[in-house]
Amino acid sequence: MLVDHFFRHESGKMVSVLTKIFGSQNVDLAEDVVQDSLIEAMEYWQYHDVPDNPSAWLFRVAKNKALNIIHREKYKRQYSNEAAYLLSSGEQSEPADPFSEREIQDDQLRMIFTCCHPSISADSQVALSLKTLCGFSIPEIARAFLTTETNINKRLVRARQMIRDEKIPFEVPKGKDLELRIQAVLETIYLLFNEAYSATKGNDVIRFELCQEAIRLAQMLENENTIKQKGDIFALLSLMFLNTSRFRARQDQEGNLLTMGEQNRLLWDRKLQASGFEYLQKATENTVTGTYYILAAISANYCLAPDYNSTNWENILTLYDCLVEMDHSPVVLLNRAIVLSKITGAQKGLLELERIKNEPQIRTYHLFHSTQAEFFIELGEFEMAISSLIVAAKWAPLESIRVLLKKKISYCKEKISCDSSF
Amino acid sequence: MKEFMLLIRNEGDGKSALSPEQQQKFLNDCMVYIQNLIKDGKLKGAQPLVREGKMISGRPGAFKDGPYNESKEIIVGYYHIIAKDMDEAITIAKGNPEFSYIKGARIEVRPIKTVEESTSFVYPKGE
Repeated sequence: MLVDHFFRHESGKMVSVLTKIFGSQNVDLAEDVVQDSLIEAMEYWQYHDVPDNPSAWLFRVAKNKALNIIHREKYKRQYSNEAAYLLSSGEQSEPADPFSEREIQDDQLRMIFTCCHPSISADSQVALSLKTLCGFSIPEIARAFLTTETNINKRLVRARQMIRDEKIPFEVPKGKDLELRIQAVLETIYLLFNEAYSATKGNDVIRFELCQEAIRLAQMLENENTIKQKGDIFALLSLMFLNTSRFRARQDQEGNLLTMGEQNRLLWDRKLQASGFEYLQKATENTVTGTYYILAAISANYCLAPDYNSTNWENILTLYDCLVEMDHSPVVLLNRAIVLSKITGAQKGLLELERIKNEPQIRTYHLFHSTQAEFFIELGEFEMAISSLIVAAKWAPLESIRVLLKKKISYCKEKISCDSSF
Repeated sequence: MKEFMLLIRNEGDGKSALSPEQQQKFLNDCMVYIQNLIKDGKLKGAQPLVREGKMISGRPGAFKDGPYNESKEIIVGYYHIIAKDMDEAITIAKGNPEFSYIKGARIEVRPIKTVEESTSFVYPKGE
Protein backbone atom coordinates (compact mmCIF):
# COMPACT_ATOMS: atom_id res chain seq x y z
CA MET A 1 0.00 0.00 0.00
CA LEU A 2 1.25 3.49 -0.84
CA VAL A 3 1.88 5.94 1.98
CA ASP A 4 -0.79 8.60 2.49
CA HIS A 5 -0.82 11.37 -0.11
CA PHE A 6 2.06 9.68 -1.96
CA PHE A 7 0.85 10.76 -5.40
CA ARG A 8 0.20 14.31 -4.25
CA HIS A 9 3.62 14.74 -2.72
CA GLU A 10 5.49 12.94 -5.49
CA SER A 11 3.69 15.20 -7.91
CA GLY A 12 5.03 18.25 -6.03
CA LYS A 13 8.57 16.88 -6.12
CA MET A 14 8.47 16.02 -9.81
CA VAL A 15 6.96 19.35 -10.87
CA SER A 16 9.77 21.11 -8.98
CA VAL A 17 12.52 19.05 -10.58
CA LEU A 18 11.03 19.36 -14.06
CA THR A 19 10.55 23.11 -13.66
CA LYS A 20 14.25 23.38 -13.05
CA ILE A 21 14.92 21.37 -16.20
CA PHE A 22 12.40 23.16 -18.39
CA GLY A 23 12.83 26.61 -16.81
CA SER A 24 10.29 28.49 -14.70
CA GLN A 25 8.62 29.92 -17.82
CA ASN A 26 7.56 26.35 -18.66
CA VAL A 27 6.00 25.39 -15.34
CA ASP A 28 2.79 24.35 -17.15
CA LEU A 29 4.80 21.90 -19.25
CA ALA A 30 6.24 20.41 -16.07
CA GLU A 31 2.74 20.02 -14.66
CA ASP A 32 1.56 18.26 -17.82
CA VAL A 33 4.48 15.83 -17.83
CA VAL A 34 3.86 14.97 -14.20
CA GLN A 35 0.15 14.44 -14.75
CA ASP A 36 0.96 12.10 -17.66
CA SER A 37 3.49 10.20 -15.58
CA LEU A 38 1.05 9.68 -12.73
CA ILE A 39 -1.60 8.37 -15.11
CA GLU A 40 0.96 6.07 -16.68
CA ALA A 41 1.84 4.70 -13.25
CA MET A 42 -1.76 4.28 -12.28
CA GLU A 43 -2.69 2.47 -15.48
CA TYR A 44 0.26 0.12 -15.17
CA TRP A 45 0.09 -0.63 -11.45
CA GLN A 46 -3.63 -1.19 -11.65
CA TYR A 47 -2.96 -4.57 -13.30
CA HIS A 48 0.22 -5.54 -11.52
CA ASP A 49 1.21 -4.30 -8.16
CA VAL A 50 2.93 -1.23 -6.87
CA PRO A 51 6.69 -1.67 -7.49
CA ASP A 52 9.14 -1.85 -4.58
CA ASN A 53 10.32 1.68 -5.18
CA PRO A 54 7.34 3.53 -6.62
CA SER A 55 9.05 6.90 -6.37
CA ALA A 56 12.00 5.81 -8.54
CA TRP A 57 9.59 4.26 -11.03
CA LEU A 58 7.69 7.53 -11.36
CA PHE A 59 10.82 9.62 -11.68
CA ARG A 60 12.20 7.42 -14.44
CA VAL A 61 8.98 7.69 -16.38
CA ALA A 62 8.91 11.47 -15.91
CA LYS A 63 12.57 11.82 -16.90
CA ASN A 64 11.98 9.83 -20.04
CA LYS A 65 8.99 11.97 -20.96
CA ALA A 66 10.98 15.14 -20.29
CA LEU A 67 13.85 14.00 -22.52
CA ASN A 68 11.38 13.13 -25.21
CA ILE A 69 9.79 16.58 -25.10
CA ILE A 70 13.11 18.36 -25.13
CA HIS A 71 14.16 16.38 -28.20
CA ARG A 72 10.88 16.96 -29.93
CA GLU A 73 10.42 20.63 -29.14
CA LYS A 74 14.07 21.62 -29.21
CA TYR A 75 13.43 24.61 -31.43
CA LYS A 76 9.95 25.52 -30.24
CA ARG A 77 10.69 26.48 -26.68
CA GLN A 78 13.46 27.96 -24.65
CA TYR A 79 14.72 25.75 -21.88
CA SER A 80 17.13 26.32 -19.04
CA ASN A 81 20.77 25.24 -19.19
CA GLU A 82 19.78 22.31 -17.06
CA ALA A 83 17.87 20.88 -20.03
CA ALA A 84 20.94 20.92 -22.27
CA TYR A 85 22.90 19.25 -19.52
CA LEU A 86 20.32 16.55 -19.05
CA LEU A 87 20.26 16.05 -22.79
CA SER A 88 24.02 15.69 -23.13
CA SER A 89 24.53 13.50 -20.09
CA GLY A 90 21.57 11.28 -20.86
CA GLU A 91 21.40 8.28 -18.59
CA GLN A 92 24.91 8.57 -17.14
CA SER A 93 24.31 11.72 -15.16
CA GLU A 94 26.00 10.34 -12.06
CA PRO A 95 27.92 13.36 -10.67
CA ALA A 96 24.92 15.72 -10.36
CA ASP A 97 21.86 13.60 -10.87
CA PRO A 98 18.92 16.04 -10.94
CA PHE A 99 16.75 13.33 -9.42
CA SER A 100 18.77 12.77 -6.25
CA GLU A 101 17.11 13.29 -2.86
CA ARG A 102 19.22 16.35 -2.16
CA GLU A 103 18.47 17.96 -5.52
CA ILE A 104 14.76 17.24 -5.20
CA GLN A 105 14.68 18.96 -1.82
CA ASP A 106 16.51 21.99 -3.21
CA ASP A 107 14.19 22.20 -6.18
CA GLN A 108 11.12 22.14 -3.97
CA LEU A 109 12.57 25.06 -2.04
CA ARG A 110 13.23 26.94 -5.29
CA MET A 111 9.66 26.20 -6.26
CA ILE A 112 8.35 27.68 -3.00
CA PHE A 113 10.20 30.92 -3.65
CA THR A 114 9.05 31.01 -7.27
CA CYS A 115 5.39 30.40 -6.40
CA CYS A 116 5.48 32.93 -3.55
CA HIS A 117 7.21 35.67 -5.50
CA PRO A 118 5.94 39.10 -4.38
CA SER A 119 5.05 40.18 -7.91
CA ILE A 120 2.38 37.45 -8.08
CA SER A 121 -0.90 38.36 -6.36
CA ALA A 122 -1.55 36.66 -3.03
CA ASP A 123 -4.47 34.49 -4.11
CA SER A 124 -2.58 33.38 -7.23
CA GLN A 125 0.42 32.47 -5.07
CA VAL A 126 -1.78 30.27 -2.92
CA ALA A 127 -3.41 28.57 -5.91
CA LEU A 128 -0.09 27.97 -7.68
CA SER A 129 1.57 26.57 -4.56
CA LEU A 130 -1.29 24.15 -4.02
CA LYS A 131 -1.28 23.07 -7.64
CA THR A 132 2.45 22.66 -8.21
CA LEU A 133 3.94 21.96 -4.78
CA CYS A 134 1.12 20.11 -3.11
CA GLY A 135 -0.36 18.25 -6.09
CA PHE A 136 -3.94 19.43 -5.63
CA SER A 137 -6.21 19.44 -8.68
CA ILE A 138 -8.16 22.52 -9.76
CA PRO A 139 -11.51 21.05 -8.62
CA GLU A 140 -10.01 20.22 -5.22
CA ILE A 141 -8.67 23.75 -4.73
CA ALA A 142 -11.99 25.23 -5.82
CA ARG A 143 -13.86 23.00 -3.38
CA ALA A 144 -11.58 23.90 -0.50
CA PHE A 145 -11.94 27.63 -1.06
CA LEU A 146 -15.65 27.52 -1.92
CA THR A 147 -15.13 29.03 -5.33
CA THR A 148 -15.46 27.94 -8.94
CA GLU A 149 -12.95 25.97 -11.00
CA THR A 150 -12.92 28.78 -13.57
CA ASN A 151 -11.90 31.17 -10.85
CA ILE A 152 -9.01 28.99 -9.66
CA ASN A 153 -7.94 28.41 -13.24
CA LYS A 154 -7.80 32.17 -13.83
CA ARG A 155 -5.57 32.62 -10.79
CA LEU A 156 -3.24 29.91 -12.08
CA VAL A 157 -3.07 31.37 -15.57
CA ARG A 158 -2.27 34.80 -14.13
CA ALA A 159 0.45 33.36 -11.92
CA ARG A 160 2.17 31.50 -14.78
CA GLN A 161 1.86 34.57 -17.00
CA MET A 162 3.52 36.70 -14.32
CA ILE A 163 6.39 34.22 -14.00
CA ARG A 164 6.98 34.49 -17.75
CA ASP A 165 6.53 38.26 -18.02
CA GLU A 166 8.63 39.12 -15.00
CA LYS A 167 11.15 36.38 -15.82
CA ILE A 168 10.94 35.19 -12.23
CA PRO A 169 13.95 32.93 -11.81
CA PHE A 170 13.83 29.44 -10.37
CA GLU A 171 16.12 30.04 -7.42
CA VAL A 172 16.38 30.59 -3.71
CA PRO A 173 17.25 34.26 -3.03
CA LYS A 174 20.53 35.00 -1.28
CA GLY A 175 21.77 37.27 1.49
CA LYS A 176 19.55 40.13 2.66
CA ASP A 177 17.01 39.34 -0.03
CA LEU A 178 16.47 35.91 1.50
CA GLU A 179 15.24 37.33 4.82
CA LEU A 180 12.68 39.52 3.07
CA ARG A 181 11.51 36.83 0.74
CA ILE A 182 11.10 34.33 3.58
CA GLN A 183 8.64 36.76 5.16
CA ALA A 184 6.68 36.83 1.89
CA VAL A 185 6.64 33.02 1.75
CA LEU A 186 5.48 32.77 5.36
CA GLU A 187 2.70 35.24 4.63
CA THR A 188 1.48 33.08 1.76
CA ILE A 189 1.64 29.94 3.87
CA TYR A 190 -0.28 31.68 6.65
CA LEU A 191 -2.87 32.93 4.17
CA LEU A 192 -3.27 29.41 2.78
CA PHE A 193 -3.61 28.05 6.29
CA ASN A 194 -6.13 30.67 7.35
CA GLU A 195 -8.31 30.30 4.30
CA ALA A 196 -8.49 26.59 4.92
CA TYR A 197 -8.90 26.90 8.67
CA SER A 198 -11.49 29.62 8.85
CA ALA A 199 -13.83 28.67 6.02
CA THR A 200 -17.03 27.78 7.81
CA LYS A 201 -18.51 25.45 5.26
CA GLY A 202 -17.43 23.09 2.57
CA ASN A 203 -15.62 19.80 2.61
CA ASP A 204 -14.07 19.34 6.02
CA VAL A 205 -11.64 16.61 4.99
CA ILE A 206 -10.02 18.63 2.26
CA ARG A 207 -9.68 21.71 4.44
CA PHE A 208 -7.94 19.70 7.14
CA GLU A 209 -5.55 18.36 4.50
CA LEU A 210 -4.88 21.91 3.36
CA CYS A 211 -3.90 22.86 6.91
CA GLN A 212 -1.51 19.92 6.93
CA GLU A 213 -0.06 21.05 3.61
CA ALA A 214 0.58 24.54 4.98
CA ILE A 215 2.49 22.91 7.83
CA ARG A 216 4.43 20.73 5.37
CA LEU A 217 5.48 23.75 3.31
CA ALA A 218 6.69 25.58 6.41
CA GLN A 219 8.62 22.48 7.44
CA MET A 220 10.40 22.49 4.09
CA LEU A 221 11.74 25.91 5.04
CA GLU A 222 12.54 24.68 8.53
CA ASN A 223 14.67 21.84 7.14
CA GLU A 224 16.71 24.13 4.94
CA ASN A 225 20.24 24.66 6.21
CA THR A 226 20.98 27.83 4.27
CA ILE A 227 18.24 29.65 6.17
CA LYS A 228 19.84 30.89 9.36
CA GLN A 229 17.07 32.87 11.05
CA LYS A 230 14.30 30.40 11.69
CA GLY A 231 12.48 32.09 14.57
CA ASP A 232 9.49 33.19 12.54
CA ILE A 233 9.28 29.80 10.83
CA PHE A 234 9.13 28.09 14.24
CA ALA A 235 6.54 30.61 15.44
CA LEU A 236 4.30 30.12 12.42
CA LEU A 237 4.62 26.34 12.73
CA SER A 238 3.67 26.58 16.39
CA LEU A 239 0.63 28.70 15.56
CA MET A 240 -0.51 26.33 12.82
CA PHE A 241 -0.03 23.20 14.94
CA LEU A 242 -1.86 24.69 17.93
CA ASN A 243 -4.79 25.89 15.83
CA THR A 244 -4.99 22.65 13.86
CA SER A 245 -5.20 20.73 17.15
CA ARG A 246 -8.64 22.29 17.69
CA PHE A 247 -9.80 21.63 14.13
CA ARG A 248 -12.20 18.79 14.89
CA ALA A 249 -13.74 20.48 17.90
CA ARG A 250 -14.74 23.64 16.07
CA GLN A 251 -18.01 22.34 14.64
CA ASP A 252 -21.00 20.57 16.08
CA GLN A 253 -22.75 17.61 14.42
CA GLU A 254 -24.69 19.92 12.10
CA GLY A 255 -21.56 21.72 10.97
CA ASN A 256 -22.23 24.90 12.97
CA LEU A 257 -19.16 26.76 14.09
CA LEU A 258 -18.56 26.61 17.85
CA THR A 259 -16.91 29.30 19.91
CA MET A 260 -13.93 28.47 22.10
CA GLY A 261 -16.27 28.36 25.10
CA GLU A 262 -18.60 25.83 23.48
CA GLN A 263 -15.94 23.41 22.21
CA ASN A 264 -15.54 19.94 23.68
CA ARG A 265 -11.93 20.00 24.78
CA LEU A 266 -11.68 16.21 24.70
CA LEU A 267 -11.73 16.53 20.91
CA TRP A 268 -8.59 18.63 20.88
CA ASP A 269 -5.69 16.73 19.36
CA ARG A 270 -3.06 16.57 22.10
CA LYS A 271 -0.36 15.24 19.79
CA LEU A 272 -0.64 18.20 17.45
CA GLN A 273 -0.69 20.46 20.49
CA ALA A 274 2.53 18.95 21.79
CA SER A 275 4.22 19.75 18.46
CA GLY A 276 2.84 23.26 18.71
CA PHE A 277 4.35 23.73 22.16
CA GLU A 278 7.69 22.34 20.98
CA TYR A 279 7.84 24.86 18.16
CA LEU A 280 6.81 27.64 20.53
CA GLN A 281 9.73 26.68 22.75
CA LYS A 282 12.09 26.78 19.76
CA ALA A 283 10.75 30.18 18.73
CA THR A 284 11.27 31.47 22.28
CA GLU A 285 14.88 30.26 22.22
CA ASN A 286 15.32 32.22 19.00
CA THR A 287 13.97 35.32 20.76
CA VAL A 288 11.42 36.20 18.11
CA THR A 289 8.65 38.62 18.94
CA GLY A 290 6.83 38.91 15.61
CA THR A 291 3.11 38.61 14.96
CA TYR A 292 3.20 34.83 14.48
CA TYR A 293 4.92 34.40 17.82
CA ILE A 294 2.30 36.41 19.68
CA LEU A 295 -0.56 34.71 17.89
CA ALA A 296 0.99 31.34 18.74
CA ALA A 297 1.38 32.37 22.37
CA ILE A 298 -2.29 33.42 22.50
CA SER A 299 -3.31 30.12 20.95
CA ALA A 300 -1.12 28.29 23.47
CA ASN A 301 -2.84 30.04 26.37
CA TYR A 302 -6.21 28.81 25.15
CA CYS A 303 -4.82 25.29 24.72
CA LEU A 304 -3.44 25.25 28.26
CA ALA A 305 -6.72 26.04 30.02
CA PRO A 306 -8.54 22.90 31.21
CA ASP A 307 -11.85 24.69 30.61
CA TYR A 308 -12.98 27.98 29.15
CA ASN A 309 -13.60 29.72 32.49
CA SER A 310 -10.11 29.02 33.75
CA THR A 311 -8.51 30.65 30.70
CA ASN A 312 -5.73 32.97 31.77
CA TRP A 313 -7.28 36.18 30.42
CA GLU A 314 -4.64 38.47 31.95
CA ASN A 315 -1.90 36.67 30.00
CA ILE A 316 -3.87 36.83 26.81
CA LEU A 317 -4.63 40.53 27.28
CA THR A 318 -0.92 41.30 27.73
CA LEU A 319 -0.23 39.43 24.48
CA TYR A 320 -2.97 41.35 22.70
CA ASP A 321 -1.46 44.61 23.94
CA CYS A 322 1.80 43.58 22.24
CA LEU A 323 -0.06 42.55 19.12
CA VAL A 324 -1.88 45.88 18.89
CA GLU A 325 1.47 47.66 18.79
CA MET A 326 2.44 45.70 15.67
CA ASP A 327 -0.95 45.33 14.06
CA HIS A 328 -3.40 48.12 14.78
CA SER A 329 -6.15 46.66 12.61
CA PRO A 330 -9.73 46.92 13.92
CA VAL A 331 -10.11 43.14 13.88
CA VAL A 332 -7.25 42.79 16.36
CA LEU A 333 -8.82 45.55 18.49
CA LEU A 334 -12.15 43.72 18.35
CA ASN A 335 -10.56 40.52 19.63
CA ARG A 336 -8.73 42.46 22.32
CA ALA A 337 -12.05 43.97 23.43
CA ILE A 338 -13.49 40.47 23.96
CA VAL A 339 -10.51 39.48 26.11
CA LEU A 340 -10.69 42.74 28.03
CA SER A 341 -14.37 42.18 28.80
CA LYS A 342 -13.49 38.84 30.43
CA ILE A 343 -11.37 40.70 32.96
CA THR A 344 -13.15 44.02 33.43
CA GLY A 345 -16.69 43.26 32.36
CA ALA A 346 -18.92 43.76 29.37
CA GLN A 347 -19.34 47.50 29.96
CA LYS A 348 -15.60 48.03 29.31
CA GLY A 349 -15.85 45.82 26.27
CA LEU A 350 -18.63 47.96 24.85
CA LEU A 351 -16.56 51.11 25.35
CA GLU A 352 -13.72 49.52 23.38
CA LEU A 353 -16.09 48.65 20.56
CA GLU A 354 -17.34 52.26 20.47
CA ARG A 355 -13.84 53.33 19.49
CA ILE A 356 -13.72 51.20 16.36
CA LYS A 357 -17.37 51.14 15.32
CA ASN A 358 -16.89 53.60 12.44
CA GLU A 359 -14.00 51.76 10.79
CA PRO A 360 -15.15 50.78 7.29
CA GLN A 361 -14.11 47.11 7.53
CA ILE A 362 -15.79 46.82 10.94
CA ARG A 363 -19.18 48.26 10.02
CA THR A 364 -19.89 45.38 7.66
CA TYR A 365 -18.20 42.71 9.82
CA HIS A 366 -20.84 40.45 11.34
CA LEU A 367 -18.59 39.41 14.23
CA PHE A 368 -18.33 43.00 15.42
CA HIS A 369 -22.09 43.27 15.76
CA SER A 370 -22.57 39.82 17.28
CA THR A 371 -19.82 40.58 19.81
CA GLN A 372 -21.59 43.80 20.69
CA ALA A 373 -24.81 41.81 21.11
CA GLU A 374 -23.05 39.37 23.47
CA PHE A 375 -21.93 42.27 25.64
CA PHE A 376 -25.48 43.68 25.76
CA ILE A 377 -26.87 40.27 26.70
CA GLU A 378 -24.37 40.02 29.53
CA LEU A 379 -25.58 43.40 30.81
CA GLY A 380 -29.23 42.37 30.45
CA GLU A 381 -29.91 44.98 27.77
CA PHE A 382 -31.87 42.72 25.47
CA GLU A 383 -33.48 45.42 23.31
CA MET A 384 -30.03 46.75 22.40
CA ALA A 385 -28.79 43.19 21.83
CA ILE A 386 -31.59 42.53 19.35
CA SER A 387 -30.76 45.58 17.23
CA SER A 388 -27.09 44.50 17.10
CA LEU A 389 -28.06 40.96 16.19
CA ILE A 390 -30.21 42.21 13.32
CA VAL A 391 -27.24 44.10 11.87
CA ALA A 392 -25.02 41.05 12.40
CA ALA A 393 -27.50 38.85 10.52
CA LYS A 394 -27.52 41.35 7.68
CA TRP A 395 -23.78 40.96 7.15
CA ALA A 396 -23.40 37.28 8.01
CA PRO A 397 -21.69 35.51 5.10
CA LEU A 398 -23.40 32.16 5.62
CA GLU A 399 -26.91 30.89 6.17
CA SER A 400 -25.78 28.73 9.11
CA ILE A 401 -24.52 31.82 10.92
CA ARG A 402 -27.79 33.65 10.24
CA VAL A 403 -29.70 30.73 11.74
CA LEU A 404 -27.66 30.96 14.93
CA LEU A 405 -28.15 34.72 15.11
CA LYS A 406 -31.90 34.33 14.71
CA LYS A 407 -31.94 31.83 17.57
CA LYS A 408 -30.20 34.45 19.69
CA ILE A 409 -32.81 37.03 18.72
CA SER A 410 -35.65 34.74 19.82
CA TYR A 411 -33.79 34.13 23.08
CA CYS A 412 -33.60 37.88 23.70
CA LYS A 413 -37.27 38.34 22.89
CA GLU A 414 -38.19 35.63 25.40
CA LYS A 415 -36.15 37.37 28.06
CA ILE A 416 -37.90 40.67 27.35
CA SER A 417 -41.38 39.13 27.61
CA CYS A 418 -40.38 37.32 30.83
CA ASP A 419 -39.18 40.59 32.34
CA SER A 420 -42.32 42.45 31.38
CA SER A 421 -44.62 39.76 32.79
CA PHE A 422 -43.35 40.41 36.30
CA MET B 1 -14.17 -23.89 -12.82
CA LYS B 2 -14.19 -21.77 -15.94
CA GLU B 3 -11.94 -19.09 -17.29
CA PHE B 4 -13.13 -15.61 -18.15
CA MET B 5 -11.72 -12.49 -19.72
CA LEU B 6 -12.78 -9.24 -18.11
CA LEU B 7 -12.17 -6.60 -20.77
CA ILE B 8 -11.94 -3.11 -19.29
CA ARG B 9 -13.43 -0.45 -21.52
CA ASN B 10 -12.94 3.29 -21.05
CA GLU B 11 -14.29 6.25 -22.92
CA GLY B 12 -11.45 8.39 -24.30
CA ASP B 13 -8.99 9.21 -21.53
CA GLY B 14 -11.42 8.68 -18.69
CA LYS B 15 -8.62 8.54 -16.15
CA SER B 16 -7.08 11.94 -16.81
CA ALA B 17 -9.85 13.72 -14.89
CA LEU B 18 -8.68 12.17 -11.61
CA SER B 19 -6.60 14.27 -9.21
CA PRO B 20 -3.39 12.73 -7.84
CA GLU B 21 -5.19 11.99 -4.57
CA GLN B 22 -8.05 10.23 -6.37
CA GLN B 23 -5.56 8.31 -8.53
CA GLN B 24 -3.93 7.03 -5.39
CA LYS B 25 -7.24 6.04 -3.80
CA PHE B 26 -8.20 4.22 -7.00
CA LEU B 27 -4.86 2.39 -7.00
CA ASN B 28 -5.19 1.40 -3.36
CA ASP B 29 -8.60 -0.08 -4.10
CA CYS B 30 -7.15 -1.91 -7.13
CA MET B 31 -4.41 -3.39 -4.94
CA VAL B 32 -7.01 -4.76 -2.54
CA TYR B 33 -9.00 -6.09 -5.49
CA ILE B 34 -6.01 -7.86 -7.05
CA GLN B 35 -4.74 -9.21 -3.71
CA ASN B 36 -8.14 -10.73 -2.98
CA LEU B 37 -8.31 -12.40 -6.40
CA ILE B 38 -4.80 -13.80 -5.94
CA LYS B 39 -5.59 -15.01 -2.42
CA ASP B 40 -8.67 -16.87 -3.69
CA GLY B 41 -6.66 -18.32 -6.60
CA LYS B 42 -8.87 -16.57 -9.13
CA LEU B 43 -6.39 -14.43 -11.03
CA LYS B 44 -4.52 -15.92 -13.99
CA GLY B 45 -3.17 -12.70 -15.39
CA ALA B 46 -3.83 -9.03 -15.95
CA GLN B 47 -2.30 -6.48 -18.29
CA PRO B 48 -2.96 -2.93 -19.40
CA LEU B 49 -3.19 -2.28 -23.11
CA VAL B 50 -1.75 0.73 -24.89
CA ARG B 51 -4.54 2.99 -26.07
CA GLU B 52 -3.16 3.32 -29.55
CA GLY B 53 -2.79 0.37 -31.92
CA LYS B 54 -3.70 -0.76 -35.39
CA MET B 55 -6.89 -2.25 -36.76
CA ILE B 56 -6.19 -4.67 -39.58
CA SER B 57 -8.91 -5.28 -42.13
CA GLY B 58 -9.27 -6.30 -45.75
CA ARG B 59 -7.80 -9.53 -47.08
CA PRO B 60 -4.41 -10.81 -48.26
CA GLY B 61 -3.15 -8.48 -50.92
CA ALA B 62 -5.52 -5.70 -49.88
CA PHE B 63 -4.90 -5.09 -46.19
CA LYS B 64 -5.78 -1.90 -44.45
CA ASP B 65 -4.25 -1.04 -41.11
CA GLY B 66 -6.11 1.95 -39.83
CA PRO B 67 -5.91 3.46 -36.37
CA TYR B 68 -7.46 1.35 -33.66
CA ASN B 69 -9.28 3.89 -31.56
CA GLU B 70 -11.74 5.21 -34.07
CA SER B 71 -14.63 4.66 -31.72
CA LYS B 72 -15.05 6.61 -28.49
CA GLU B 73 -14.68 3.54 -26.32
CA ILE B 74 -11.51 1.49 -26.18
CA ILE B 75 -10.27 -1.59 -24.37
CA VAL B 76 -7.62 -0.38 -21.91
CA GLY B 77 -6.77 -3.66 -20.20
CA TYR B 78 -7.89 -7.09 -19.18
CA TYR B 79 -8.11 -9.40 -16.19
CA HIS B 80 -7.91 -13.10 -16.94
CA ILE B 81 -9.80 -14.81 -14.11
CA ILE B 82 -11.10 -18.18 -12.96
CA ALA B 83 -14.68 -18.40 -11.72
CA LYS B 84 -17.28 -21.03 -10.94
CA ASP B 85 -19.75 -19.71 -13.49
CA MET B 86 -20.90 -16.58 -15.28
CA ASP B 87 -22.62 -15.27 -12.15
CA GLU B 88 -19.42 -15.36 -10.14
CA ALA B 89 -17.48 -13.77 -12.98
CA ILE B 90 -20.03 -10.95 -13.09
CA THR B 91 -19.76 -10.45 -9.33
CA ILE B 92 -15.98 -10.22 -9.64
CA ALA B 93 -16.30 -7.73 -12.51
CA LYS B 94 -18.72 -5.58 -10.50
CA GLY B 95 -16.19 -5.38 -7.69
CA ASN B 96 -13.65 -3.69 -9.94
CA PRO B 97 -12.76 -0.18 -8.67
CA GLU B 98 -13.12 1.15 -12.24
CA PHE B 99 -16.83 1.64 -11.60
CA SER B 100 -16.31 3.85 -8.53
CA TYR B 101 -13.72 6.15 -10.08
CA ILE B 102 -13.90 6.22 -13.86
CA LYS B 103 -16.79 7.93 -15.55
CA GLY B 104 -18.32 5.78 -18.27
CA ALA B 105 -16.23 2.71 -17.44
CA ARG B 106 -17.60 -0.61 -18.73
CA ILE B 107 -16.39 -4.17 -18.31
CA GLU B 108 -17.08 -6.89 -20.82
CA VAL B 109 -17.26 -10.39 -19.30
CA ARG B 110 -16.42 -13.12 -21.81
CA PRO B 111 -16.03 -16.84 -20.99
CA ILE B 112 -12.98 -18.45 -22.57
CA LYS B 113 -13.97 -21.44 -24.66
CA THR B 114 -12.87 -24.57 -22.81
CA VAL B 115 -16.16 -26.46 -22.73
CA GLU B 116 -18.79 -27.24 -25.33
CA GLU B 117 -21.79 -25.23 -24.13
CA SER B 118 -24.62 -27.62 -25.04
CA THR B 119 -23.05 -30.84 -23.69
CA SER B 120 -20.58 -29.53 -21.14
CA PHE B 121 -17.98 -31.66 -22.90
CA VAL B 122 -14.52 -30.53 -21.95
CA TYR B 123 -12.39 -30.11 -25.03
CA PRO B 124 -9.34 -32.40 -25.01
CA LYS B 125 -6.07 -30.65 -24.32
CA GLY B 126 -4.14 -30.49 -27.57
CA GLU B 127 -0.85 -32.01 -26.49
